[in-house]
Amino acid sequence: MMNVWKISVKNTLSKPLDVLLTVLFLGVSIALLLGVEELNESFKNKFNNNLGGVDLVIGAKGSSLQLVMASLLHLDSPTGNIPYEEALKISRNKLVKKAIPISYGDNYLGYRIVGTTNDFPEIYNATIAEGRAPEKAFEVAIGAVLAEKEHLHIGDTFKSTHGLVSDGHVHNKVMTIVGIYTKTNQVLDKLLVTPLESVWRMHEHHDEEHHDDDKPKEVTALLVKFRTPIGLLTFPRKINESTNMQAALPKYEMEKLFNFIGVGVTTVNWIAYLILGLSCLGLGINFLKLVKERAYDLALLRTYGARISELIRIILYEGLIITGVAIIIGLLLSQLIVYCIPHVLNIEVFQDLTLFIPYISFVKVIGLLLGILVVTVFIAIIPITKMKISKVLNDEV
Amino acid sequence: MIETQNLTYQYSKNDELLTFPDITLKHKDGLLILGKSGIGKTTLLHLFAGLLTPTSGSIKIDEIQIETLSSTKLDAFRGSAIGLVFQKNRALRSLTVVENLQARLFFNRKPEDMKVINDVLLQLDLDNCKHKKVNELSVGQSQRLGIAMAIVHKPKLILADEPTSSLDDENCNRVMKLLLDQAAITHANLIVITHDHRVMPLFSNVLKL
Repeated sequence: MMNVWKISVKNTLSKPLDVLLTVLFLGVSIALLLGVEELNESFKNKFNNNLGGVDLVIGAKGSSLQLVMASLLHLDSPTGNIPYEEALKISRNKLVKKAIPISYGDNYLGYRIVGTTNDFPEIYNATIAEGRAPEKAFEVAIGAVLAEKEHLHIGDTFKSTHGLVSDGHVHNKVMTIVGIYTKTNQVLDKLLVTPLESVWRMHEHHDEEHHDDDKPKEVTALLVKFRTPIGLLTFPRKINESTNMQAALPKYEMEKLFNFIGVGVTTVNWIAYLILGLSCLGLGINFLKLVKERAYDLALLRTYGARISELIRIILYEGLIITGVAIIIGLLLSQLIVYCIPHVLNIEVFQDLTLFIPYISFVKVIGLLLGILVVTVFIAIIPITKMKISKVLNDEV
Repeated sequence: MIETQNLTYQYSKNDELLTFPDITLKHKDGLLILGKSGIGKTTLLHLFAGLLTPTSGSIKIDEIQIETLSSTKLDAFRGSAIGLVFQKNRALRSLTVVENLQARLFFNRKPEDMKVINDVLLQLDLDNCKHKKVNELSVGQSQRLGIAMAIVHKPKLILADEPTSSLDDENCNRVMKLLLDQAAITHANLIVITHDHRVMPLFSNVLKL
């Protein structure tokens, strides 16, 4: 069966190289736009997701961003320690709904061991899926992803490594896995959680060696949730001005971080839009060329009885085919980019990144393309509507 | 039945006004229009095909005054009643032989009867290359395709513009024979315009412009 669509398809296929070039340019620019947007969205989501409703992080003085990254995202190293006494004082404040101390110092196979209370998993809405919560020193409950990846089970024992990277000095104290948390898709999935005593006693051992018994207990940071927003207004200032500690607002710090990343994202986006603009220009020029080159064929169609509207449809469908294929290629390519980058770069932040397809950007890009297509086709069909069939047929001789 | 009266055409105000003698053709009659280039042969042919609108005068094809038709009706009329044979580039380059014939019928809004198409392909010895692209055809096949395109929809009037001018004697005779045969088979009027005098003996009805 012959129809207008079939003619458009055949026309498109009759110029494979021109079409391939246009489709590739369009596809790559779409892939860049969508890929960058998807990574950006996924990052934001991953970071914000891990804030777990913590209003304030209190830790040693230093970079506030570093404090948030270390205490909530478990990415950077901590700024230092704060006295446990001070932390307890803050916990007793009326405005504080919940204050969870965390203490760092060790890792197992590169996964961080967090000394804390059993309130900690609540930040991530996690519960014990298997076994029980750790109660005594040197008992640990571990994240679901960690358990699965490293094939760890309840009852397994291990010796932790000092520091936050796996090649440090190995402690002699044996830790026992007593529980595994539910999967949260948050940072908890890759943490080992143990009572604060474990961390203290692990290091007391060191302290004994160094004959330094009287050192007061310390924690790395205190994660605070307030009862009312008033806490957010008064607390940070009080702590920053009147104590040796600093208070950092996770949401604010993350905003700052996204603004830094945002510059890069914006730059790449502009480049992508530039390529998109150029490919659209290419598409337009292609169409004009096509209408010119095919003037005779189009005139022939008119002698067959084809209406002007049918010629316009032939051109429009060709545009739709090219744009459609470009969008599909762009989508596939963007997914390839998004899946490959984490594996190629092998950076910790990229790992277990839950991908969020940016539907809004997707709709925006497609809308933009279709808009441009309509304009291009509109420009390209002006010669068709003005075409003098008789003259075109004559000129061919 | 084809009839023209006081037909004139002027391309633009500064151009010479072309005037044409009155022509009357009965059912199935053929006509050869001879003349030097530039004298308005193709113009006359395009007036018949409704590709140009006469400046004055009238053209009646089967009781239809074609200069009075609206552009949509003219498109439809051209598609169904007229078959045009060109000197070269006779079909759509992106389609195969059989697809071109299908397209011819499609735009003519006639049912796509594969039997009709296959018959035409057989008559014109094109059935062995029906899935070839137009630019893969030999010169002879391409000429026959041009004729096939002009007759597959069974038009009332076949118009041929210099169909033989670039051909040697042998091919000239073959093409003309095919045209005359196909016109006879489809009961169509055949109007050929040419400056090629070799064609003269084939027509009883010759008009010199």
